Amino acid sequence: MKIPKTALVVGLLIVLAALVVLFFLSGAREVIRKSAPTAPPAAAGSSAAPEGAAAPAPAAGPAVKVSVFFVRPSDGLLAPEEREIPASDSLIQQTEAYIGELIKGPTGDMAGAVPPGTKLGRIYITREGTAYVDFSRELVENHPSGTTAELSTVYAVVDGLTFNFKAVKKVFILVDGEERDTLAGHISLDRPFLPDYSYLAKK
Amino acid sequence: MTNRRALAALAALCAAALAIPVLAAPSAGPSAAGPPEQKTIVIDPGHGGLDVGAKGKFGNLEKTVTLAISLKLKALIEQNLAYRVLLTRDKDIDVSQENRSALANNNDAAVFISIHANGSFRTATGAETFYMSLTDLDEETRKLAYLENNSSQLETRIADDAKDKDAVKMILWDMAQAAYIKQSARLAEAIQSELPALLTKEGRPSRSLAVENRGIKQARFKVLTGVACPAVLVEIAFMSNPEEEQKLVDEDFQTSVAQAIYRGLVNYMKGLGTKPPASAPSPGRPSIRLP
Repeated sequence: MKIPKTALVVGLLIVLAALVVLFFLSGAREVIRKSAPTAPPAAAGSSAAPEGAAAPAPAAGPAVKVSVFFVRPSDGLLAPEEREIPASDSLIQQTEAYIGELIKGPTGDMAGAVPPGTKLGRIYITREGTAYVDFSRELVENHPSGTTAELSTVYAVVDGLTFNFKAVKKVFILVDGEERDTLAGHISLDRPFLPDYSYLAKK
Repeated sequence: MTNRRALAALAALCAAALAIPVLAAPSAGPSAAGPPEQKTIVIDPGHGGLDVGAKGKFGNLEKTVTLAISLKLKALIEQNLAYRVLLTRDKDIDVSQENRSALANNNDAAVFISIHANGSFRTATGAETFYMSLTDLDEETRKLAYLENNSSQLETRIADDAKDKDAVKMILWDMAQAAYIKQSARLAEAIQSELPALLTKEGRPSRSLAVENRGIKQARFKVLTGVACPAVLVEIAFMSNPEEEQKLVDEDFQTSVAQAIYRGLVNYMKGLGTKPPASAPSPGRPSIRLP
């Protein structure tokens, strides 16, 4: 009887080990994929408190100049329009104000790169400088679709943020708080974007 | 007795528990489907079903144009080369991006060509050929991509440890295209060098067919990410431009585009040193009727 008992214990241990291995193997990918979209809302609550520590504090004053990028008709590149946003110690507030200007659209003869009706949800910026920018569903639903149009939208947001805010290194575009496969059928939104200034017009 | 039975049950459980992860692991290796002689080319008509793609001013849809051109290209390849051609869709239906790349991987495709018509916020014009951009990849994946692009046998060189191998497979499966980026660039070049100067049926250059050359570009396409073979995405012309929209729905233009892509494909294969196998002259072979 002794041998079967030990065998039983060993057997149980093997089952346990196997279950543990199974648990980690099967779950690992899911966890990684889901942690990204859920991170912003979780931490976004803290954005109410000023996060000045990470922000490149603007000089004291009522307004800061930023370059907001729109599609230039002549060559389709993204060209800047100078705008002023309220000065703030909070990088979150500044980037939100920036995206606000981007959504407002151009004043001149350039074309906006964000579809009409799009609203900004929240922005969350990690310590490493990855900005999670959450747009409403209109970003996708009202998008004209097409590779070039999607690239314009992506880099107006990504290059605009990294160009104006040195603390922002990468941008993860979310829609309704979630990660999306593509913007409108072409460009993949499933990981953060690094800036690509080849989409910007040379002055 | 009962102990023995319990043991047997436990053993079975163990075996089952251990077998599941093995079965669930995606196999990155090409599935050996079909005889090696008959290689496969996968053509992917962009969009379909509810996903209409870019819309033209006159109401024409990207999904319709991409299918028409893809069918013509398929017919051209099948008539002239000994390749099997698979379409990710041959009618107006929704197909997920994953299933499009899976069709190429499951059939060990030699080449993957995705056909699209472009759209923009302004009145842009012209043709361009894209391949996957790797700029946003993390360090580790880029290193693997570099290794893979500079040697043919990745898995034999990576650590013998089975666990590491699985990790490599996982990364590559997620970003399979990274391993074929050099060949994809060459394929893009070959196609783009034929695309703008479209020819008439008689093989003459025609001003009414020609489109502006926007060159080769890289971008992060969902549909190319997981493709484990040389892969490109061709943007024929702009659906958002009324003039080009008219061209895109013109049958002569579509035929001319299919021929240009076909010429690019053949040139790419010649460049690889593997002469594209011509299909055996078989009069009995059913000819594909162009739509």
